[in-house]
Amino acid sequence: MILTLLKRELKVARRNWIGLVIPLLFFIIVVSLFPFAVSPEAPVLQKLAPGVIWVAALLAMLLSLEQFYRSDYQDGSLEQLLLMSSPTSVALSKILAHWLLTGLPLVILSPLLGVLMQINHGFAHADHTWVLMLTLVLGTPTLCLLGAVGMSLTLAASRNGLLVSILIIPLYVPVLIFGASTVTASLENMRYNGELAILGAFLLIAIVFAPFASGRALKISVG
Amino acid sequence: MSQSKDIQFDGLYAHELTVSRSEQILLEDADLHLAPSTITYLYGENGAGKTSLMRCLAGLLPSDQGSIYWNKQPINHADSSYFQDLIFLAHSLSMKNELTIAENLSFYANLRLKAGISQQSLSKQIYDVLLELGIGGLENRMFAELSAGQQHKVALARLILEPAKIWILDEPFVNLDQKTRGWLAAKTLEFKNNGGVVLFTSHHHIDELPVDQKVGVEHE
Repeated sequence: MILTLLKRELKVARRNWIGLVIPLLFFIIVVSLFPFAVSPEAPVLQKLAPGVIWVAALLAMLLSLEQFYRSDYQDGSLEQLLLMSSPTSVALSKILAHWLLTGLPLVILSPLLGVLMQINHGFAHADHTWVLMLTLVLGTPTLCLLGAVGMSLTLAASRNGLLVSILIIPLYVPVLIFGASTVTASLENMRYNGELAILGAFLLIAIVFAPFASGRALKISVG
Repeated sequence: MSQSKDIQFDGLYAHELTVSRSEQILLEDADLHLAPSTITYLYGENGAGKTSLMRCLAGLLPSDQGSIYWNKQPINHADSSYFQDLIFLAHSLSMKNELTIAENLSFYANLRLKAGISQQSLSKQIYDVLLELGIGGLENRMFAELSAGQQHKVALARLILEPAKIWILDEPFVNLDQKTRGWLAAKTLEFKNNGGVVLFTSHHHIDELPVDQKVGVEHE
């Protein structure tokens, strides 16, 4: 059942790809403006890199939330989905598709932005790009899961974009803190296993609770 | 409150149902029985709450009080086959503009039938239904490219493609040409004669469709 839902999501997204490119462009543009605005010197950029890339990734995810459940809600298919399958599996397949279409591209693009921000400057052997990618792999699904809960709660409200941002950003902050500090720790040659473990723990907790919560909220929003 | 053993009615049975919308009570302590092999016509003015009642019976809108049973079992019961048996066609057509007609229809059919359907026979069925509806050959066109009437026909095709035991249809005859109205009425009668339960609303009298039961929703 989830597979059927997932296939449809990907098919709709493929025909509607402009909406998916915008958050990615945003991600690239924000990061690439920093060398112009702050300083093109490698040590400065390197110090800023973890924070800048993570903040840009978080905002790009927030930007992409707008199209989460909205079109299904408006054309009535959400109603039909909830009639024909369990709310949790509707939410789960949406979240999975959304991560594949927004989170994963961010992860794939991040090495490029790492190079742009001179993340490996002065390290002959260490490769911090992998650490950056790993934090994004663990962090962006959490952002998706939390965003899904926010979106499903505010579906019935018109102009819910701002509302979701206010609701969700406090929950995003811990992910941001640990995501960026893992990369910083790696840049300072310190151990970062602890931070990484906490990012993983966030993800696990979100996987357990968020699809269920989002499904229940969808039921309420539709009713 | 497990009173399900007291329920003697087959089909859909709503017991002491109270439904409200935006703090306005639409229905109070109403009993409603939709037996197998009956067609029920739900009438009432605009805004009287026909759609809300239908959404409530479809399990989308929670009722304030009362319970709804399908074949003697509460519809939300884990063993109930209600949602497997129900097709609810609402005002919104629930089709994606980004998908073709065939993709839209086979998505819903696959969702309902889960496993065990050959995609080949499904696409043959889709082809046949669209032909009957006078939009044959359009199955690979995007849903957004169709006219309003054609889009409505696509939504109706679901009734044929998905096996069900109860149809709840909100204004199914609106936007349809004479020929398709006749087609829908014939299909509805056929469904009824095979033991199906039908509940529908309409603003116009449908000559082609004999009704077994009329239920009215009225303003206070």
